[in-house]
Amino acid sequence: MASSDEKPGPTPVATGDKPTPPGEPTTLSSKILDKGAGMMQSLEPVKEMKQHVCTFALYAHDLSRQIETHHYVGRLNQDVLQCAVYDSDIRKANLIGVEYIISPKLYETLPEEEQKLWHSHAYEIKSGLWVNPGVPQMLEKPELENMACTYGKFWCTWQVDRGDRLPLGAPALMFSPQPVNRGRVRPDLVQRRDEKYKISTEELRESRVDIQEPEIHPNADYWVKHNKGFAVDVKPADMKRLAPFP
Amino acid sequence: MNKMATSHVNVPGEPTETGTALLETATGTIQGFQPINNIHQHLCAFHFYAHDMTRQVEAHHFCGHLNEDVRQCLIYDSPNKDARLIGIEYIVVESLFLTLPDDEKPLWHSHEFEVKGGYLFMPGVPGIVERQDLKQVCKTYGKVIHFWQVDRGDPLPLGIPQIMMALTRPGQLDENIAKDVEKRFGVSFEEQREQRKDLSGPDHGIHPLANAAGRGLKTELREVDIPPATSMPRVFV
Repeated sequence: MASSDEKPGPTPVATGDKPTPPGEPTTLSSKILDKGAGMMQSLEPVKEMKQHVCTFALYAHDLSRQIETHHYVGRLNQDVLQCAVYDSDIRKANLIGVEYIISPKLYETLPEEEQKLWHSHAYEIKSGLWVNPGVPQMLEKPELENMACTYGKFWCTWQVDRGDRLPLGAPALMFSPQPVNRGRVRPDLVQRRDEKYKISTEELRESRVDIQEPEIHPNADYWVKHNKGFAVDVKPADMKRLAPFP
Repeated sequence: MNKMATSHVNVPGEPTETGTALLETATGTIQGFQPINNIHQHLCAFHFYAHDMTRQVEAHHFCGHLNEDVRQCLIYDSPNKDARLIGIEYIVVESLFLTLPDDEKPLWHSHEFEVKGGYLFMPGVPGIVERQDLKQVCKTYGKVIHFWQVDRGDPLPLGIPQIMMALTRPGQLDENIAKDVEKRFGVSFEEQREQRKDLSGPDHGIHPLANAAGRGLKTELREVDIPPATSMPRVFV
């Protein structure tokens, strides 16, 4: 029915040459309603996102498809983070997925089959690909060492980079950049990002040389050892029911 | 008041350290959060697994408009500070739903019943204001994917993403879950139902392919060969 590694059939929504997504501009009455609601509701969980991280990710079924990501990170405790991931940092950025980040201690408690779905962050951070836009290096450095040891699990729900104007298909697993041939991020993507934020990934790499290289669990970054990635399929199934459906 | 559903399980891990918290207070102040600032609305509704209606989840949606016709929502398991981010929902108007390929439509569900039924509500917002927006939501379709199966007590987001469905007729929502939410949020679904009688669903009726094409859906993980590297530039990061 749908697979994360299959391009959707030709429809107006999948062409990608027009702005994503299709639809009419937000009306004034919607804006007013939203503002009104926004004033009466506390939106607590959303306020817990206190970090913006800009980095890169690769599709787990095709490493040549690489994207710049904007993670808005919320912390549940010292060992667990949850991120809303967007394709840019503007107000109307597309919500393209969710990433969870956990400490090595928790990663080790996961069953082996589960561990395969997670990726390491060490290279991404040490290479300077992972940045906290707007935050002085001095401030971010202490926590980067912790972050460098963590593992992430990232599901992408909207493949904007292949031209989908709406979120189509099955969710896709993503992997992190790795220091092996196919895991490296294309220079043009990095350059574009650097120009936008007026930073230098290379300089950041140099400044992070002293961040300790953690030992990466053998089950993480599955593709590196096995040359295999993952895709998700959505298939028809009989729904267990307690009442008639639909 | 702690508006937490009864099935809450603690997330494993140590309490946040002071240094970490301080840094995040700083980054929270210095950095820009525009996409998050676009989230203006909290909606509470119920989802169940597209392969199992008996597993039902209270879903707190935090939504923003991408434009008049498309919304995107972060789904949490509660409206509290320590809520777990469990999924995502996209909401589109009927005209956009109709442009979706036929094998995409089953992944989407209609909103008519849960809106008219009173089950989808905006906590804290007076009915009269709520209904202005619900009039539109009633005609939309949504695509929900969950990543953290909190209803089965998973301490962490394990497994693969799950396509979720929404209520489409009376008798589907578990009585206990319904009563619990009504009590905690001080709402009455029956009263809402009365107030929402004049709302109407999609102009062309609920599409037969929506709502898992009337059957059900499941997700599966598959290993794939990674395509070999094409010509790689000599200089990389």
